[in-house]
Amino acid sequence: MILRVLAVLVLSAVSAEAQIPYERIVDAAAAPGDWLTYSGTYASHRFSSLNQVDKRTVAQLRPAWIYQFQSVGIIETSPIVADGLMFVTELNGRVAALDARTGRAVWTYSPYAPASLIGFRFNRGVAVLDDTVFVGTTAAHLVALDAKSGVVRWDVVVEDNRRGYHITGAPLALEGRIIVGVAGGDHGTRGFLDAYDPKTGKRVWRLYTVPAGSGEPGAETWSGPGRKIGGATWVTGSFDPGLNLLYWGTGNPGPLWNGDERPGDNLYTCSLLAIDPKDGSIRWHFQYTPHDVHDWDSNQVPVLFDATLDGRARKLVALANRNGFYYVLDRENGAFVAGAPFVKQTWADGLDVKGRPILRPDAAPTKEGTLVFPGVGAAADWWSPTYSPQTELFYLAAGERGATYYKGEVDYRTANLYLGGGYRSVDNDDSWGAVRALEATTGKLKWEFRLTRPPVGGLLSTAGGLVFGGTTEGNFFALDADTGKPLWDFQLGAPIKANPMSFAVDGKQYVAIAARLGLFVFALP
Amino acid sequence: MAFSDFCPKRRRCDSCSMKRKLTLILLTSLVLTFAAMLFAFGVGVGHYEIFPYSLIESVRHSVYLAIRADATEGKALFDNDCARCHGIDGSGGEGPRLDKPALSRAADDDALRSIIRDGIGVMRPVRQTTTAEQNNLIAYVRALGRSAASAPVAGNVEEGRALYDGLGCASCHIVNGVGEGVGPELTHVGAMRGREYLHEALTNPTAALPRGTLEVAEGLSEFLPVRVTTLDGREIRGARINEDTFTIQLRDADNQYYSFRKSDLRALEKGGPTSLMPSWEGRLTDAQMDDLIAYLLSLNGRS
Repeated sequence: MILRVLAVLVLSAVSAEAQIPYERIVDAAAAPGDWLTYSGTYASHRFSSLNQVDKRTVAQLRPAWIYQFQSVGIIETSPIVADGLMFVTELNGRVAALDARTGRAVWTYSPYAPASLIGFRFNRGVAVLDDTVFVGTTAAHLVALDAKSGVVRWDVVVEDNRRGYHITGAPLALEGRIIVGVAGGDHGTRGFLDAYDPKTGKRVWRLYTVPAGSGEPGAETWSGPGRKIGGATWVTGSFDPGLNLLYWGTGNPGPLWNGDERPGDNLYTCSLLAIDPKDGSIRWHFQYTPHDVHDWDSNQVPVLFDATLDGRARKLVALANRNGFYYVLDRENGAFVAGAPFVKQTWADGLDVKGRPILRPDAAPTKEGTLVFPGVGAAADWWSPTYSPQTELFYLAAGERGATYYKGEVDYRTANLYLGGGYRSVDNDDSWGAVRALEATTGKLKWEFRLTRPPVGGLLSTAGGLVFGGTTEGNFFALDADTGKPLWDFQLGAPIKANPMSFAVDGKQYVAIAARLGLFVFALP
Repeated sequence: MAFSDFCPKRRRCDSCSMKRKLTLILLTSLVLTFAAMLFAFGVGVGHYEIFPYSLIESVRHSVYLAIRADATEGKALFDNDCARCHGIDGSGGEGPRLDKPALSRAADDDALRSIIRDGIGVMRPVRQTTTAEQNNLIAYVRALGRSAASAPVAGNVEEGRALYDGLGCASCHIVNGVGEGVGPELTHVGAMRGREYLHEALTNPTAALPRGTLEVAEGLSEFLPVRVTTLDGREIRGARINEDTFTIQLRDADNQYYSFRKSDLRALEKGGPTSLMPSWEGRLTDAQMDDLIAYLLSLNGRS
């Protein structure tokens, strides 16, 4: 009897320690010692309210520990920290659980990953809910791991990798739902977003982002003989618990640079979808780039924030799009509120009153090549922006880089890249980057900090008044969030293609970022 | 025409073995011809291919090249997509010369196809090409190699070597281990660059920066001329070696190395005022220029 009571007490104490119920994620902003979801909070601010490292002390930041990844290649992981354990992902969806104090490995999980897998091998992170860690793999499986031991609880096939589907983004854990997006839009696949039961791995719903047949919603925006392909969902979206709406961006249509066989707007590619998480139905949609022929995926992080406009309290969603425009929408109904370019762009004469681009006729790809700004994945891409509720500024790492776009013949073969052309970026010293601070409600530029090369990594803002980021040349740096003045930098020795985050253990604040072979964690002395 | 016409005994027989043999031969030939056509030209239904891609392509390749490859089509493709780096007529430029009978990285057509399709090193394919386009490009590139082999080269190599020594080029360049490494090594320049590029580099070096000579500065222009002014007013002109958002590394004309934090500089001018290398425009006769270029074109590696 006593043993039983003891066991129950011990078990509940242990399990109470490690449990990350949905409610804790909803309140994540108030407990900044942890980082419980990909973008820090469901609103995706990637903002930490820790302020131990601030404008005055940041100059003393130095390495605390480093974890070296087992796999060599592009590492785009954004760590999760929950109750003293850090979870990072490596190639193919490999997961390592590390002691957040010392960096020592606690467990690892290696997914099924033969060399013949189709798709990109990098992985941006895990989701956690209750006692389970969820990861999507290159093989297009969703795997649930026991958070304490790393042992597989369940492993389900999301889709067939041989058809081009693979998973690169971090899943999103909602109450009773693990939301998973897929990649493969360039491999000729039909995009979708899935929701799984966290306990059993059973699929609850699937939302296809492009219609299959003539009866389905959006079908009237695809005429011509071409296949309805694209709309991949490979970057983690956001969630408003109050409105109970899930926000997720969709990718480009295929073939990428030749739209001849798919005239029409091609819904719901290059869009933001507001989705009911219960059944996966679309509440509203906004299409950033109708009939895209420049590979301008709208797989960017949607940032949810509130503001007062014209005396009214508004619930808004901001997205700095790969097409070079920064958009603010009403997140209750998808209405266009404001939009402005944040980089040099030469393809549109602005946006109309509904936010639809006014196309310039000479901006489409041609056989001989057309120079257009922005280039492919240059202005903005998957890497995260950050929103600081303190400064009310939206910060992003932007690339100033055009590309010559070529239109080519289309040749569909299952799971091969389905491109219909190509591109050549403006390179070397004719391209560069900048951290830009925009007034969140309007996109108006407040300051910029120039970067030598176009960036490929994201930003973090903190209550210490700082913006952290990484350069393509390897500098991990901190800027003054109000002025953009550089306050600290450290050369990590490899291009930084990841997002920074911050956490605390035993009252000490850490800032972490991945760069090629290592996860680098910094703290004050 | 009947089988009896072929019969040596001029007889009609139901069980004639000749009839059976001829039928067998005819049927076999038909089947083989059909199979050969299938493999040669592929079977397409709409956007799909019935046979596995790799199998059909590997067999199609030789037949296609022999029958259907078109060097004129290849030239159109080359001029549009390849010439900007490899030069008109493959004479070289940012990318290596292709007008040579033997290409060191494309010894056979399979290797050449692989490069066109997937790129190599810093070269990314400009766009996805179909097999037919690859065949045409292969035919054109090989034709370039054949015609260049017989083309006469203006200028005298030995006179050019004497000029190279006399003008002091070795104070900034290394050839076969001799000289100073301020500017790019020239040991292989004849394999990398053509006449047109070399002429521009000699007469307007600021506009003709080298490519593919520097591994360390990925994504940055190589040997970019820079001028820095330190906080205490010192001005240094150099060729940039590397740079990041906070620091810059360079060499001056005396091969002196410098490294600065940008916050320790009063001014940083990139791309100017001019290249460290002087321009020889107007300082050499046309004949001397031809000789010097002929010498450089002869530099194909350690002799």
